[in-house]
Amino acid sequence: MSPIRNVLVAGAGPEAWIVATGLLRAFRRQQLEVSVVDAGSTADARIGRWTLPSQRGVHALLGIAEPHLVQHTGATFRLATEHLGWQGEGSRFLHAHGDIGVEISGAPFYKYIQREILAGRQERAEAYSLAGTAARLGKFARPMGEGGSVTASFTYGFHFEEAAYSQYLRAHALRQGVREAPAPLAEALRTDGGGIDGVLLADGSRMVADYYIDCSGPAARLISCLASDERDDWSNWLACDGMWSALGPAMLEPPAMTQTSATDAGWLWRAPLANASMVGHVFSSKFLDEASARQALAAFEPGLREPRLTRFAAGRRRRCWVKNCLAIGAAAVELEPLAGADLHLALIGLGTFIELFPRDVASEIEAAEYNRVMAEHADALRDFTLAHYRAGAARAGKFWEATREQPLPGRLAEKLDLYAANGRISLLDHESFEETDWAWLLIGSGLKPDSLELQMQVQIAKLRPADTAAMRTHVQQVAASMPPHMEFVRRQAPSSPRRPG
Amino acid sequence: MQSPLRIVIVGGGTAGWMTAAAFASVLAPGRQQIRLIESSEIGIVGVGEATLPHIRFFNRRIGIDERELMAKTQATFKLGIEFVDWARIGDSYIHPFGAYGSRIAGVPFHHYWLRQRAAGDTSDIAEYSLPIVASRANRFALPSEDPKDVMSTFGYAFQFDASLYARYLRSFSEARGVRRTDAKIVDVKLRGEDGWVESLKLDSGELVTGDLFIDCSGFRGLLIEQALKTGYDEWTQWLPCDRAMAVPCENSGPLTPYTRATAREAGWQWRIPLQHRMGNGYVYGSNFISDDEAATKLLSRLEGKALATPRPLRFTTGRRKKTWNRNVVAIGLAGGFLEPLESTSIYLIQIAITTLADYLTARAIDEHEFDPRTVAAYNRWMDMEYERVRDFLVLHYHATERDDAPIWNYCRNMRIPDSLAHKMELFRARAHVISYKDGLFLEPSWLAVYFGQRVIPQDYDLRADAMEPVEAEMQLGRIREKIQGAVGRMPSHEDFLRHYCPASEPTEAGSNA
Repeated sequence: MSPIRNVLVAGAGPEAWIVATGLLRAFRRQQLEVSVVDAGSTADARIGRWTLPSQRGVHALLGIAEPHLVQHTGATFRLATEHLGWQGEGSRFLHAHGDIGVEISGAPFYKYIQREILAGRQERAEAYSLAGTAARLGKFARPMGEGGSVTASFTYGFHFEEAAYSQYLRAHALRQGVREAPAPLAEALRTDGGGIDGVLLADGSRMVADYYIDCSGPAARLISCLASDERDDWSNWLACDGMWSALGPAMLEPPAMTQTSATDAGWLWRAPLANASMVGHVFSSKFLDEASARQALAAFEPGLREPRLTRFAAGRRRRCWVKNCLAIGAAAVELEPLAGADLHLALIGLGTFIELFPRDVASEIEAAEYNRVMAEHADALRDFTLAHYRAGAARAGKFWEATREQPLPGRLAEKLDLYAANGRISLLDHESFEETDWAWLLIGSGLKPDSLELQMQVQIAKLRPADTAAMRTHVQQVAASMPPHMEFVRRQAPSSPRRPG
Repeated sequence: MQSPLRIVIVGGGTAGWMTAAAFASVLAPGRQQIRLIESSEIGIVGVGEATLPHIRFFNRRIGIDERELMAKTQATFKLGIEFVDWARIGDSYIHPFGAYGSRIAGVPFHHYWLRQRAAGDTSDIAEYSLPIVASRANRFALPSEDPKDVMSTFGYAFQFDASLYARYLRSFSEARGVRRTDAKIVDVKLRGEDGWVESLKLDSGELVTGDLFIDCSGFRGLLIEQALKTGYDEWTQWLPCDRAMAVPCENSGPLTPYTRATAREAGWQWRIPLQHRMGNGYVYGSNFISDDEAATKLLSRLEGKALATPRPLRFTTGRRKKTWNRNVVAIGLAGGFLEPLESTSIYLIQIAITTLADYLTARAIDEHEFDPRTVAAYNRWMDMEYERVRDFLVLHYHATERDDAPIWNYCRNMRIPDSLAHKMELFRARAHVISYKDGLFLEPSWLAVYFGQRVIPQDYDLRADAMEPVEAEMQLGRIREKIQGAVGRMPSHEDFLRHYCPASEPTEAGSNA
């Protein structure tokens, strides 16, 4: 029996610090020691990211006070993403982090929206969603009150600048007792048995641990030396392989929202920070060269500071846990940031690892289970991302046509087929995006079911026009009463008991 | 104006009448015509008798009054299933309808129990399950709605007479417009262009046309197999029983609020207590025992006087390759057969009915068109349901130490489905239970059978060590006390039944199986 007494995490970004602190806190009683070694790769790191609401759970897990975090990182909040042009020039839809209306005798309210749209009437999900309406009005507040009330009908994510968030998480991790290696990673050493034997640092010293976690990004500097490079390549479906991103000037009273706009060879995005903005261009180098992609970004947002280029190859490692090494983040799964789920996937990886934390590092069943579960999680995120490209009307252009030509992964084809047949959203095991998320996306994409589930429509028929009008008014009123997003951000009191990060 | 959807149900057993009742009450009232064809000359298998808690959702959805149903079907309550002699002769465990303890700091309760066991605690996992403790004491009360109350930690199901259940559903259905025809089907006519079923010819000479045909004709699958040649996946390599012998007997002793399944020399024996009698049966493999010997063994092991001669049944465990094919949906035994070891027969009928109702669109009802994409999704769903039940049943046969009879030697050594092998290995290694989103059997069910069948974990979740031993001991003790206190306040199962749903004297002997 060889227990895990210490873990070495390789990386420099948020994943590394989150994983390190999360493990330390989960096994504090077992006196687990956790160290982080800088694995470089920050030069080509993206400028920042947007997260899913699960990031709130990460902060709670790590013992981070959110107001303090927001105050010290220049972060902003995120109620929704708006997608422009994905289904053709002029198309737009919102994916908000909140309920659409309230359930009617067991029927989700979006079934009402489906019916209205099918009947040719103008209805939009966001009018029944506090998150969606507040996002449109530039308002923000945290959810509150009892479940079932409209003020508790939503949640939110964040916009972070990568460097500021990493620094904050690093300072927090060190305060919590995570150690930092004295020098950056030079190379990983491999045992004869196919595991990691230790790492060499840039100063020539050597570090050894019982277990290693690779958060070094696409370079995968630990796990890639374990001869386990079999990947599922997704680039035939998701052709984008690069992203220019940069800081831009602050936006004037920006809403709590991320915005994406489809382009000829990918998509542009824009997200607010407290004192700046972030923009990016995700593109396929097959359809647009790097220089032109950079120009497109500059045209999108004049006054950029030093855009940086991140390259990636959409796909996932078949085995993210090999012997005494686990890959988390882009070392495990590379996916364009459209769904904002990279850190979410890292969190799932951390949680699953904690749940399967082996008492004996030689035990193999845990790795088998981890790899099975994480493959399903990753495939589900791929499907949700890909559905943005494939649902609803097709955008014109070579890139979009080529994307549409590929046969869909079976599980996504089945999902979209069923929706197209009867408006039903079916979920498999381990899907991070829930029924409501898919409803935002599929209704928003304009994909129209051929007919609707009769049982649901019988319930929905109970709604009278006065009911829906009252719901819209209520949502509108509550949203209007919320403070402006940036006022809320500025109000994050520096009165937290913790010292600045 | 569209014509109503003509639904023709073939067969009037449990599956047929459940379908008729559900569709008549919730599918598309006013836009459908439902006809059920059954022959009083063909016996029904009357599958079921013992149910799962899910049946209460079905009752609620279609508007069945539970007390009335229970009174009319000689029903008793069911808190779980007792398994006797499965891992070793002399063993007994109950698979309860409820949880063991509750999660502490996000870690399932059983890990703390395992940790305390490793430190010398001798309590049984069963002491942390209210429905098990209540079952052992023959007590019953309805659960509480208050999640803080220990009385909210369980569910219940029914044990009832399946023929009386079919009869009850028949009057329920006929009151809601279902037209019943007593006839035999002598021919099935398919439509030339696409092979859909067009009409059924009855022995009366009548031609019954329809848009959607529900095949509830039992094992033979009159429409799904005999007419449409859909094909069948056999699972007999994992579940070798292929026959059953059923016989009712007089009650003796107190009415137990649970079903019992006792492992035998060539299969297993069921015991289902009803208000007026006891249902019994022997499920066995014909390779391992003769019919005569099975009947003799069954009769010799009854607790009361036999009320009929044993009735034989034959089956092939498995599932139709598609339970929805063209315009025919096979429900019940026509769709597939899994032995009633975990009382799943009525569940599989119910889930087929409600899933079908959920998937049908306004267009299907009004224009009588069934979208192949919907059909494919329905079939995937039902495959998943059958396969999850199958794996769980296989666990009972495979996880045994018995070596006293050929059937147990076979099952102990057989190669099990990979998905099940992985689940068992993970439990053995660290008491980790794999959970899934849909389909039957949640963590407590797997725990009950693993522990009950001596699949003993070598380790538990490391995080359980975070709790101080004294604190863990206290918490465990508190749960045991709460459960004992609550069960102590429950009335006996018989007293509860007498007040809640007393049945009238039976007018005729109930059916078997």
